[in-house]
Amino acid sequence: MNCQQARRHWDLYYDSEGDAELHFQLNEHLASCAGCAEWFDKQSRLESLIEQRLGSEAASEPSAEVDWSGVLAAAGVTPVVRSRSWMFFGSTILALAASLLVLVGLYGLPVLGDGSPSLSRLSAEVHQHVVTGSLRPEFESASDMEVDKYLLGKVSFPVRCPPRKDSGFAVSGAGLCEFSDQPAAYVVGTVDRRPVSIFVLPIESLDVFPRQRAELRREPLSACREGSTQMVFSIVDRNVVLVAGDVERSKLTRVLKSYGTYPHAL
Amino acid sequence: MTRPDRQKAERFVAHLEPIQRQLAVYCSRALNRSDETADVLQSAIANAFHDFDKYSEGTNFRAWMFRYVTLETLNRNRAASRLPSVLDEPHLSQPATLDIGAFRLETLLDDPEAVLDHCDGVVAQSIGELTEQERKILLLRAVGDFKYREIAEIMNIPMGTVMGLLSRARTQLRSKLLDYARQHGLLSKGDSA
Repeated sequence: MNCQQARRHWDLYYDSEGDAELHFQLNEHLASCAGCAEWFDKQSRLESLIEQRLGSEAASEPSAEVDWSGVLAAAGVTPVVRSRSWMFFGSTILALAASLLVLVGLYGLPVLGDGSPSLSRLSAEVHQHVVTGSLRPEFESASDMEVDKYLLGKVSFPVRCPPRKDSGFAVSGAGLCEFSDQPAAYVVGTVDRRPVSIFVLPIESLDVFPRQRAELRREPLSACREGSTQMVFSIVDRNVVLVAGDVERSKLTRVLKSYGTYPHAL
Repeated sequence: MTRPDRQKAERFVAHLEPIQRQLAVYCSRALNRSDETADVLQSAIANAFHDFDKYSEGTNFRAWMFRYVTLETLNRNRAASRLPSVLDEPHLSQPATLDIGAFRLETLLDDPEAVLDHCDGVVAQSIGELTEQERKILLLRAVGDFKYREIAEIMNIPMGTVMGLLSRARTQLRSKLLDYARQHGLLSKGDSA
């Protein structure tokens, strides 16, 4: 595959479409062609930013803020309307935090319409702080073993770094945080040179995040998206493990599967 | 409401809740007039709820629901017979063709934040200038995160058409961003090519 052919297939590569053979050939070319690798990175970065804008309520017209209670009532689904379905957060909250302390204080805020916090939204926000550099991990190292060693004893639940060979995840650091008063650990790094964060919480934390618990009951390997941040999460060794990043979901799944043996059902 | 109806409604809402945000953003952006978002969602949800007995548990509810919203937005845009909204400032009514390798695109690629941080409104309004199909395909991919095959099913068009129109929509959107950036001096160098 030459450069022209490779670049013609960027859409398929970015969208994780096309067959495995095409992706194999593209990856082979990108591994040997720094020019195309940089070109692909830039194209993907721009597209990701555009998608982020398209997917955010902040950029929508004010009228996009829908009163779902009213919509459901008018559509004849009234009796089960539980509450306002969501609240709008986003840019104002994102603009606030500049340190871990601020972050910890902040993460009581994003809640669902039923009053329960959203683990995916909280994780996406922390991930974005990592991406923008406003959150630096307490411990920085490119060594899987050193990160494992640092986390050992820091939290009461086991946290580890997925092996790079299996996951494609290049670790850069780790730290501790809290999501709605629930202890959590995070490991940060990159996949294909794009930031990826791994969050680990004890399974008991799901009492605070009923929505994620319901999703995991339906689907042991669940996935969602917050803005441009893709996420996959599952139960691994009695922990909730959530992998977030602005990369293809299949790559995050690979990281998650490398983290543990296989996803457990609740 | 009878007990079976209540159970049906509860199941429907349980499926709907996780995708409400996506549906609202998609609907708002797909409509020529976003102030009709709640009204269109209401119609789409009423139709989907009416047909919910036909939905098979375990299949792709998200794609099933997006199909109703897509149809409703299409009907609404057609009924209104409105031309896509045109920006007064900046003027973006003439989509330029874009050479993906052109130098001026490189200036955008090198520092996309410099442009996009000023372009929320431009991105939102520029997609209003795409064709109905291009806009919906781009939104289904970018907002709905659907695969090409799913988009083809939702839109009831061939997958090859999805791929072609998505690529064209992306190119046009970038072209509009470049035009805006050039007109407003957001690109620091080489933006006059």
